[in-house]
Order: sequence, then structure tokens, then C-alpha cells
Amino acid sequence: MSDRSTISLTVNGEPVTAEVEPRQHLADFLREKLLLTGTHLGCEHGVCGACTLMIDGAPARSCITLAVACDGAAVRTIEDFDDDPVMAELRAAFSAEHALQCGYCTPGMLMTARDIVTRLPEADAARIRVELSGNLCRCTGYVGIVNAIQRVLKARAGNPSGA
Amino acid sequence: MKAARFAYERPKSLRQAVERLGDGGGFVKLLAGGQTLGPMLNLRLVQPDLLIDVTKLSETTGWSEEAGAILIGACVTHAMIEDGKVPDPTGGILPRVAAGIAYRAVRNRGTIGGSLAHADPAADWLSALAALGAEVVLVGRSAERRVPVAELSTGVFSTVIAEDEVLRAVRIPRLSRHARWGYYKFWRKTGDFAEAIGAALHDPEREAFRLVIGATNGAPLVLDGAALGVSGSALPERIDMAAIGRALDAHGFADDDYGKAVHLVAARRAIERARRT
Amino acid sequence: MTSGIGARVLRKEDDRHLRGRGQFVGDIKLPGLREVAFLRSPVAHARIKRIVVPEELRGKVFTAADLEGVKAIRAVSALPGFKPSEQPVLASGKVRYVGELVAACVAPSRAEAEDLAERVEVEFEELPVVADMLAARAEGAPLVHEQWGDNVYLETFVKGDIATAAASAPVKVTREFRTARQCMSPLEGKGVVASWEPRRDQLVVYTSTQQPHIVRTGLSECLGIDHGKIRVIAPDVGGGFGFKGILCPEEVAVAYLARRLGRPLRWIEDRREQLIATANCREHHYVITAYADREGKLLALDAEATVDAGAYSAYPFSACLEAAQVASILPGPYDFPAYQCRTWSIASNKPPILPYRGVARTGVCFAMELILDAIAREIGREPHEVRQKNLVRPEQMPFENVTKKHFDSGDYPECLRRAVTAIDLEGVRARQKRGEADGRRIGVGFSIFCEQAAHGTSVYAGWGIPMVPGHEQATARLTPDGGLELRLGIQSHGQGLETTLAQVANEVLGVAIDRVNVVHGDTEYTPYSTGTWGSRCMVMAGGAVARACQEMKKRVLAIGAKMLQASLDEVKLAGGEVVGPAGSVSLAEVARTWYLRPQDLPADVDPGGLEVTTGYKPVRDSGTFSYAAHAAVVAVDTELGAVEILDYVVVEDGGVLVNPMIVDGQVYGGTAQGVGTALYEEMPFDEAGQPQASTLADYLLPGATEVPAIRIEHMETPSPYSEFGQKGIGEGGAIGPPAAIANAINDALAPLGVEVTETPVTPRRLLAALAAARRSAA
Ligand SMILES: Cc1cc2nc3c(=O)[nH]c(=O)nc-3n(C[C@H](O)[C@H](O)[C@H](O)COP(=O)(O)OP(=O)(O)OC[C@H]3O[C@@H](n4cnc5c(N)ncnc54)[C@H](O)[C@@H]3O)c2cc1C
Ligand code: FES
Ligand code: FES
Repeated sequence: MSDRSTISLTVNGEPVTAEVEPRQHLADFLREKLLLTGTHLGCEHGVCGACTLMIDGAPARSCITLAVACDGAAVRTIEDFDDDPVMAELRAAFSAEHALQCGYCTPGMLMTARDIVTRLPEADAARIRVELSGNLCRCTGYVGIVNAIQRVLKARAGNPSGA
Repeated sequence: MKAARFAYERPKSLRQAVERLGDGGGFVKLLAGGQTLGPMLNLRLVQPDLLIDVTKLSETTGWSEEAGAILIGACVTHAMIEDGKVPDPTGGILPRVAAGIAYRAVRNRGTIGGSLAHADPAADWLSALAALGAEVVLVGRSAERRVPVAELSTGVFSTVIAEDEVLRAVRIPRLSRHARWGYYKFWRKTGDFAEAIGAALHDPEREAFRLVIGATNGAPLVLDGAALGVSGSALPERIDMAAIGRALDAHGFADDDYGKAVHLVAARRAIERARRT
Repeated sequence: MTSGIGARVLRKEDDRHLRGRGQFVGDIKLPGLREVAFLRSPVAHARIKRIVVPEELRGKVFTAADLEGVKAIRAVSALPGFKPSEQPVLASGKVRYVGELVAACVAPSRAEAEDLAERVEVEFEELPVVADMLAARAEGAPLVHEQWGDNVYLETFVKGDIATAAASAPVKVTREFRTARQCMSPLEGKGVVASWEPRRDQLVVYTSTQQPHIVRTGLSECLGIDHGKIRVIAPDVGGGFGFKGILCPEEVAVAYLARRLGRPLRWIEDRREQLIATANCREHHYVITAYADREGKLLALDAEATVDAGAYSAYPFSACLEAAQVASILPGPYDFPAYQCRTWSIASNKPPILPYRGVARTGVCFAMELILDAIAREIGREPHEVRQKNLVRPEQMPFENVTKKHFDSGDYPECLRRAVTAIDLEGVRARQKRGEADGRRIGVGFSIFCEQAAHGTSVYAGWGIPMVPGHEQATARLTPDGGLELRLGIQSHGQGLETTLAQVANEVLGVAIDRVNVVHGDTEYTPYSTGTWGSRCMVMAGGAVARACQEMKKRVLAIGAKMLQASLDEVKLAGGEVVGPAGSVSLAEVARTWYLRPQDLPADVDPGGLEVTTGYKPVRDSGTFSYAAHAAVVAVDTELGAVEILDYVVVEDGGVLVNPMIVDGQVYGGTAQGVGTALYEEMPFDEAGQPQASTLADYLLPGATEVPAIRIEHMETPSPYSEFGQKGIGEGGAIGPPAAIANAINDALAPLGVEVTETPVTPRRLLAALAAARRSAA
């Protein structure tokens, strides 16, 4: 038994090979080793959603996912979405609807929002709220966030190519 | 809030995993989705020496059919079930239960087997699958055995799974067309663990009736038709709620007015839902 | 489109956060950084007999004995009779609550630092615990601070002539109320990165705070280091709500050790620490008797209030701010003649409390608004009618109430009328008569309150706490390219001040808001300030920016006039240019000339140039009074005790709104927190003083499905005292909901004889109340 393991994965499209302590969670690996600090930690027990990022295309909690278990995975953090068209729409809508105040929940919120927009194009306000329930925001009261996601869904419904 | 030190291995086969479990090298834990173990490790509530990751094994990740049932691999995630990516022998019950567990990001990694093995009394699968008459397939060094989910849990976070056994799959019987199902989860917040669960199945072609009351202070309370005077092919207009109350008293609720009240309501509403479907 | 005052300008700070490029304290990594984990007391009250640090951990683990020359944190009050506490940085002699710091452990990673903490052994001699404020007030209770002789930080008494009313009032209603202890729970916890920088011979402290200058003063006092040798920087701060208005022992310990070890140290509070060990808020108890006539007109109010302030008086707001506020604001926006109130600030074996968004107003509003509903039920009137009998009327403004609070402006009756209309009271009453198909019971409830904000010296001086706010200062500097830098000692942690202060500058100088750079949160670059709290920023910092920009405008015009060879009365500032009779020059040209081409200016130019620091205080510093009426419709499942909010309306008057979008955001966010107070959030302790919620699975924060789609209506009555008529409104949202929601629940359950009087209204509490009502009916 060793208390170090070597993992290979892709992070934001770049191959990464690194030695990790098995006990290190993915969020700490990204933040401390790769200095990708856009992924935030709000609870480290899976409840708040601040650490949500994409693993193999699906949103996941990086605080309760071990880095060592991500050997072979493709991880995408908020820093990788500058050129993503869906995220660009979400960013504009978040700003227009005042969907962020302190910004601490925002990266995780955007990951969930993007998942809603791509997976549930028909979602109404009630469904959006249910889907957002795993991402806590202490500042906005969620009003702006729900509105922003609805705004993007509406725009995309009117323009299915998403262009 | 960081985990204590441990080592990590990802065996190539179920056999290897089982053997490693039995090696006796300190405190060994299996790792599935980590959605329960992760928080417990971070909070240092559990401090294993070694984690064995079983999520990448062919034996735990697929599914198969057998007479009258589907076998779902232990490491199939809640999200896969929610999305209908595995065959559903229950006519839509499994995806609905899955969709009510936690949040999508948790469901993307959390597994059906991990949930059952952890045996949190408030977990959804434990109650739902007990009511559906499912079994778990446990693989040990020498043998494989099947245990009804209704008999899996022996208390809070404890099960009949032996230290050197791996939960390989869950066998879920195919329901008949006439089966009726009611599930009621009382929670304080969306995605939260339940305060009380009621799960009722009435399948006239197989057996009359089963009621499971979950989120108790131990194993789920499983009551069959005989205990409640339900027999035959129709669900009677009145179920003996006093009998359910007495069973709850005997199940640790005698001095807990609140717990008894909400569990009774969850049970009754589950039955009402079953009647209405 | 204008981007000055009143414009719905999108926020300058959004882009970095939307790309994950914000910089929070936990994101800061300095070369050679070491991590700190604290060993915390597992018991609520004990003498420390012995701390055993294994030999091999020397130099990595530090206890009180290692903190040479570090003073305890003292937050005093000048109110007569106040007993100060000494909050040790690391516990020495005694621990007084679960989670109190015992040792600091230093290692390359946080995980390893936590490993070290597990290896330190502490021998405790446990002492009797007092975990409830009423028990703590009683004779013979265990003493948190033995030398006091009791557990009372401060007892106050406002005497009033209530005897006449008490003797003759036809209606008398007495109730007991309680609001639970809460944890403010910003999504980002506290955190500190400290390093000693040899080049400047200076301690540099990055900390997640609302008050960098106050933290600097506190550090200076505790560490005995000159202010000049301490620089405090608040980077992006992930929410505050009052939680980050404190000097924590962790900050002092980390700063001290960074200097002593000569290397950067970091401590990032985790959620469990935040929940069980750092400051709490909101725990009040009231016994109130209201006297009224048969119409519901209040004749007198007799109140007792107790606040559980925990084991230590927290710096800088002290253990008595909350109760002192209760006594002065309990009468709320009501006009009645006689009032008496006794308060106690109590010490207990629990973490200290801090003023949380709304401070005492949330508890006060809960108590007052529930009493008014009780009167309404007693006399068989609609609750809003009873309120209309008592509310201060617009023609009385400015108005001084029974506690000499000076209300600046507003139309409270109209605010309530609008809420009644917006929530469709008649419709709800009709619906109640019809009943619900699912068997739930519907109820509607109101609350109305005022939010005194930005109150200054005259108010705080009386309390004599370590920090009394005076003038707020701002520096404005035009850069050579015509951009504007604003420097302020406040700290924005979500309020969007980088945007709204730029709007103020735009209003005065016409400079485009993307050319305004707001520098805040760094003691090195900004004027002294007590920071961001008390909804004071838009009034105080906004006022200071306006004043600095007005002075800047004079100087720009003077230089511009010289450049245009015009006289001063011939030029004006328009569209970001100095316009004269025969031409114009841009701000950039003015600035470039001043800085880089002084030869083009005459010798008698004002040498103050284009850099201005000036201070601001409103014409009256008794505060602006925003106010709001909240209305809620709830459905109560009486079988499960579950409450769903079906509709929620806020009618708010925050004076002139600098940016309506941001104001709405404050109201939404505050209201969501108020929903948490009303229905979900509670930090319970058992009899041994053990906190019972250590994760967010136990301490429930409202999520997107728990917070309703809040509807807001605005009124805009300018304050006569502030620079543009603006009022502070950062806290109001969090004040009204517990009262409105509890009143709605009580409205729904009145036919069953149930009245809730305690927050949060959990299923467990509600079912117990229903059962008790059934028993007493039987
Ligand atoms: C915020 C949050 C909310 C949640 N809400 C709910 C909810 O509402 N309802 C609900 O039901 N669940 C809820 N969960 C739990 C979630 O469903 C977990 O995914 C699940 O309980 C555990 O599955 P896992 O695959 O993550 O198991 P792990 O965390 O990996 O393991 C859990 C335990 O099972 C053991 N184990 C795992 N796999 C096997 C196996 N194949 N054989 C034998 N032992 C095994 C492990 O050793 C460990 O002891 C929630 C979790 C979180 C973080
Ligand atoms: S930090 Fe991962 S869910 Fe809160
Ligand atoms: S914006 Fe602050 S937590 Fe969401």
C-alpha cells in the first residue's frame, strides 16, 4: 500500500499526469496543484454545490470526488468555458438578471445552469428551481438565477441552432 | 476538513476486489460513487487504511436479464436509472425514485449499490427496493448469495453484508401490469434525506401487498398484507392505520410523537397514492 | 442611456466571477505557504489541566503559552454596568464553548495540519455548563466568567409611564417569543493569509472581512504592532451579512505566527468550523405585554428582552449592541405614548454572537408584529387594520417616536395598503372560505417595519463600543488619461459597490463608469473607515464619493477654464468635457495637462491638482429610515407540520435608488435569508453545550425550491438628510419574513387554536403546537 498514486487525466483539454495523495479531493487537486481556483469550496460535504464542475461531461461535486479516482477522466472547470457558446449566453444572462452578488456560488451555479440548459431545454421555472436545489446561493435569493436560466432557454427555443 | 491518510487501489476484477477485502490489511473500505463516503472521509468520521474502488469493474457496471427480473450492477448510478439508461422492470417506478435522490451532480456519481450498502435509514433505495421485493447479490470469497433488500439492513448504517463481501448487483423483479405503487417522501428541503418515507406496492398477480416505512431509527419497517389484513386482488378502502401505529411503536417510535406522526402520514399517503395509480 | 444615479447599470464586478477569475482569500497562495488547522475544545466549559504536545511536534504546534506578548481581544462598551470579557486568542486556563481555539497546528497542507491536531492531547476538568440564556440569568447558574458573580454582560432599563394604561386599557395581551440561534452562513467562510514582509518590515494580512481597517486596529491592539506595520487586504469576499464584521482570534493567531515563523500562513475556515465554532447570531427571548383600546390602538408596551450573547464580547460590536438595539427599536414604526423595556445581554457557554443582517430588528419585528396580530385576533379585526391605527403617518414626518428615534420621511400607511392590495387579501380570504382540495390550510400574514441605517456618531457614541463611526472619507483621483480612481475604506462583498459608486461619480463628473476604478478593501490605499455594515455604504461612501467628485469638478473646471482661456463662470462640465464659450476640452486633456504639461498652466493654478480626499457625514446622523411591508401567503399541511410559501410580496421604500437592479437583489437575497430564519435555520445546543448541527445537512439553508418567487414593489420617498435622498436598504429583506410568515401560519391555524411564537417554525414545533392545542381543546 502506498500513500501516493500517479494519475493521468485531462483537465480543461490538457493532459495532466501527477502524483497525488489518495486522500486529496479533486477540488483541492485542481486548486492547490494546478492553481485552478475558479472551483470553490463551500462545505466539503456535498451539500452546497459551490465545487460543481464537469467530469466526463456531467456535473459532479469535486469536494467528494477523490482526485485519484479520476484517473482517465476528462475534467472541465469554469476556467475552460470562456469560449463555450452556451456558457457565453449564460454569462450574459447572469449579468443582465443580476444572478450573482458575491460570486462565490457562481462557478458551480453556472455548471448546473449549463446542465439544465443542455439536458432539459423544456424546463419551466418550477423545474429550474428543483434542478438548482443542489446549489446554494446565500446572496441572491435565486430570483435572478432562475430568470437568467429561463432567459437562455427562451432564447434558444426561439433559435434552436443555438447560434 | 480534510480526510485522514489512506491508500487507494482499483482492482481489475471483482475476484481481485473480494480477495483484497479478505486480506485483512487493516481497515479496508469499498469505494463506489463516494457520495456518502466522501463527506464521511472529509469529516474524518471514518478513517480507513485502504479504499478499494469497485466502480470500473465489468461485474458491477452493467445489467442483465433473468427470468422475471432485471439485475442492475451495483455501480450503476442514480442518474443512469433516472435517465432510463438501464432497463426498468417496474414501469417507471425506478426512474422516479432515482430522480428524487439528492441532486443531479450527486446522482451522476452516487450508485444504487453504494446506497444500499451504506444502509442510511433515510435513503431512498433501501425503502423503495424493499417494497419492490428486490434482492441484493453478495459475492464473497467462496460463494455468492442473495438477500432480500427487506432483510439487508440490521440498523443504522449496518447490514448483513460480511466484511469480505461485495454487493455485486441488485435483482429487481418485473412487476405485473396490474401492480400499483405509491411512494411518499417527506423531506424538509428538496434533495434532502427524508424525515419519513412510505412505500407501498400492491401487485395482485404476485403477492397481495407490501408496505415499507423508512427513515426510521434503524432498519426500514416492512409490513406485508397479512400484518395489515390486506389480501386478495383489490386494495381495500380502509387500511388498519392503528395496526401500523402499533408496528411503529414496536419499531422504536413509542416515545416519539413527532416521528410516529410523520411516519404514519407518509405510510398513509403512500397507500393512497398506490390506490390512485 | 445614462449610467448615473437611478440607472439599471450592469455590474462591473460580474465578468471576473462569471469566468472563475474572482480572487478569494482561499485562492491566494504565496511562496513557502504553510497551512494552519486549529485544535478546538470538544467541551463547552472546562479548566484546561494540561496540554500535551508530543516532542516531535515542537515548532509545529502552538498553544497559549507560545503567544508571547499577544493580548486578549477586548470589546468593551461604555454603557454603565457593562462587564467586559477577555477573549483569549488561544484558550488559557479555561475553555468557555465548544470550538474555542486551543492550539494552532502548522503544516505544508491543511490535511497534514489536521493530522497534527489529532495528536495533541488536552486534559480537561469539566465544569457545569450553562447553555440556555434564561438558565444563565437565573440565580445560582454556573458562571461563564467567575469574577463577574453572574452571567450578565449588561442589564438596561428604559423606564416609561405605563401604569395608567396598564390600569385602564380594555385590551391586554401578553406573549412570550423566542428566535433561534443562527449561523449567518455566507457561502465562503472566514479565512486569513498572513505573511511578514521584510522589505517593508510589515505584516500583510489578507482576510475575508467586511472591515479591513477595523481588523487592522484590532490586530495592532492585540499584537502590539504599529498600524503602519500592518496592512490588511480584503480580496473578493464571498458574502458577509455581519459574519465578517469581527476580529477573530484565528486572525490574530495566524498573523502572530506568520511573523514569528517568518513564513506565510493560511487558515481557511471549513464549514464545520463555521457552524460549530465561529460566531452565531439572532438568539432572542421576549416577554411582552401590550395594552390597547378596543379598536386596537396601542396605549402602552411593557417588554423584557434577553439576548444570548455567548461566551465572549466580540470585537468590535460587543456583546451589548444587540440588546441595546432591542430596547431602542422595539416600538418599530408605531406611534404610541408609553413604553417600558428591560434587557439583558447574557453570557453562556456558546460561541459569541454578532449582528446579522437586520441585527436586532428581525427579532424585534417578529415580537412586535406577532403581538399586533394577537391583538387583532383578540378584538376580531383584520391585522392590517390594527396596524393602520398605530402606524406613524406621513404628515408627522420627521417624527420622533417614544424612544426618540428620528424618522426622516416616508408614508408607512400607504406602504401597508399597497402590500394588502398586492397580496390580494380579499382573494385569500375567499380562498380560505372555499378550503383547499388537498386539505391544507391557507393563511396570510403581514409585517411592517423600519430599517434605520447609516446611523452615525450620535447613535453609536452612546453605546461606547470600540468603534464609533464618524465621517466617511473618499479619495478621488483623475489619472493622466482621464480615468477616475476612487479609494474607499469600505469593502464590497456582493453589494456591487464597484458599480454603484462609479454611478455616483458618473452623476457628478460625467465620467464613463467603465473608466472608474474603485479601489477598496486595502488599508494601504484607502482612507480609514469602519467598513461595510449597518447598510451604511450607499449613504456614507456614496455621499463621500459625491463630495470628492464635486470638489474634483471644481478643480477640473478651474484647469479647463484656464486651458480654454475662459473665466470660471463661463465654463461648465457636460458629457465628461469642460465646455467653454468657444470650445471644449475633455477630462483626459485636462488631466494630461495637469500631470504632464504643467507648462501650459498659469502659475497660480491650485496645487491640490486632481487628487481629492474629503469626508462626508449626512446633515443629521440619526440615520435614514427605509421601511417595507412584507406579505406572505402560506399553505400549512397540518398532518406533517410542513409550510409552503405560496406567494410573497415586499413593498419597499429605500428612498432614491442608485441602481434599482442592485437594490432588488439586496431585497431578494435578504428575504431569502428571512425565509431561512422563519422556517429552516437553527443552531441548537444540547444541555452540555454541544452544538447539534455540524453540517449543512443539519443546518438547513433555503435553496431554490424553498425560496418563493418574491415580488417587489417600490416606493421612493427621498431622505431629506442624505446626499441624493438615498437610504440604506441592505438589511431590510431579512427583517420582515419571520414575522410575516409566522403571522400567516397563525392566520391559517387560528381556527385550530394554534399560535406559533418561536422561530424557526419547523414541522416538529408545528406538530407539537397542534397537539397541544388539541389537548387543551379536549
Ligand atoms: C448532499 C447529498 C444528498 C443526498 N441525498 C440523498 C437522498 O435524498 N436520498 C438518498 O437515498 N441518498 C442521498 N444521498 C446519498 C447518495 O445517494 C449516495 O450516492 C449513496 O448513498 C451512496 O452511494 P455511493 O455510490 O456514492 O457510495 P459510496 O459513498 O462510495 O459508499 C457508501 C458505502 O457503501 C459501501 N459500498 C459501496 N459500494 C459497495 C458495494 N458494491 N458493495 C459493498 N459495499 C459497498 C462503501 O464502503 C461505503 O461504506 C445524498 C448524498 C449527498 C452528498
Ligand atoms: S463544496 Fe462541494 S458541495 Fe459544497
Ligand atoms: S452570489 Fe454570493 S453565494 Fe451566490
